[in-house]
Amino acid sequence: MLKLMRLEIRKNKLGSSLKAVIIANLGIIGFLTLIYFAERSEGAAAFATYESAFTIIDVFVRATFMIFASVWIAKLIIDEYKNRTISLMFMYPINRKKILGSKLAVVFLYTFLSVLLSNVFIIIVLYVLDQVFDIVPEPLMLSAAIRNMGEVFISALSTAGMGLIPLFFGMWKKSVPATIVSAILLNTIVTSNWGEGTSLYNLVAIPIGLAVIGVLIAYLTIRNVHVKDI
Amino acid sequence: MTYILRTVQLTKTYDGHEVVSNINVNVKEKEIYGFLGPNGAGKTTIMKMITNLIKPTSGEVELFGHKLTNDSYEVLRNIGSIIEYPIFYDGLSAYENLDLHCEYMGHSDKRSIDEALELVNLQHTNKKAVKDFSLGMKQRLGIARAILTKPKILILDEPINGLDPVGIKEMRDLFKKLRDEYNMTLFISSHILGEIEQVADTIGVILNGRLIEEVSLEAIKASNPMNNSLEDYFINLIQGGKRYA
Repeated sequence: MLKLMRLEIRKNKLGSSLKAVIIANLGIIGFLTLIYFAERSEGAAAFATYESAFTIIDVFVRATFMIFASVWIAKLIIDEYKNRTISLMFMYPINRKKILGSKLAVVFLYTFLSVLLSNVFIIIVLYVLDQVFDIVPEPLMLSAAIRNMGEVFISALSTAGMGLIPLFFGMWKKSVPATIVSAILLNTIVTSNWGEGTSLYNLVAIPIGLAVIGVLIAYLTIRNVHVKDI
Repeated sequence: MTYILRTVQLTKTYDGHEVVSNINVNVKEKEIYGFLGPNGAGKTTIMKMITNLIKPTSGEVELFGHKLTNDSYEVLRNIGSIIEYPIFYDGLSAYENLDLHCEYMGHSDKRSIDEALELVNLQHTNKKAVKDFSLGMKQRLGIARAILTKPKILILDEPINGLDPVGIKEMRDLFKKLRDEYNMTLFISSHILGEIEQVADTIGVILNGRLIEEVSLEAIKASNPMNNSLEDYFINLIQGGKRYA
């Protein structure tokens, strides 16, 4: 299984996608900077507390890597069906369930790590900048930082699960656009702000429920693959 | 007589329409079996059922004496194939594609990659991505990939499509070499009679999803002392003798 995952990474040149992750991170930082200056010009503080900063960072990171996940699903799975290379894969002496399973595991881990590390990275950047420019009025408490790490972990896990939902639309239509558009729509629904910083994501049951649905979709996709005509 | 590949009453139905009907093919070890039929006769569908890509509606496939099931995959280790047309990860080079093939096949001898590329005259493509290959080059690379791990049986769907006359001759010689020196069995489909005639030991003729004849080339020659061309023999067969009656 690990070998299959390694081969997927090599075949799709996932290594070079690290660049895309870094660029996305810089983009998020750019956006946050914009928000900061826009709010300041109106005399408000964009990040009144570290806690509100953590929330905003996490929203951006989750939204970004949900889309990334759908792009990887498109590349690793939907494209293989469209280009018929999947018939090549299914002629190898390897259990088909393992082949698809390893692809989905790559997507899941990739999303999980991206959300986790990007959150950490941007928080560190914010902290460093705060020391110099005094961006957040209150100091960062260690206890708040630790509590937030726990939240980031849950957020990464639920995003990785939710990120698998576009697989359903992609496999149904065997279409790359369907995969990515469904991710964007899902994003819009889940992260849009109702005011006062509340969104569907804040109801704990929603992200966890959606993550479970994502994993279920992955399971159902794999389950019957050995009896299907290619 | 040992058969390396057999199909028993193999049938495939799509939406109530029978594309392949009760096919019984018997391929002996170390022979070249020419699978002859016009376009759309069902050759590719049968080959896909043999490689387990498509599941039969009824009937079965027997490879190396074992029945193929939905869950079979170990058996694929001993099959090399090109089905329909050669498919590659076309952003990668020829070598990278074959290297991946080795990895997935669990074949550790990387020297065989260069050997296979040399056998089909593709040793100088270096870093060129497969998407920039001509159809003939892709066809050659497909054959290189199929023979790379020295499987016991090769299943090649229209392998000479897109090759020039020199290439066709080279492939013909290569097929015979694979049979004689590497002891491989080859199951080759084609709609070009002249081609099959020159390499095959046994010929199966398929028309509208039915196998209408399975005969060794020697038997045809023996039964046809007047030495009409093979072409006449088959056109006669396919048209039910109407044209030459």
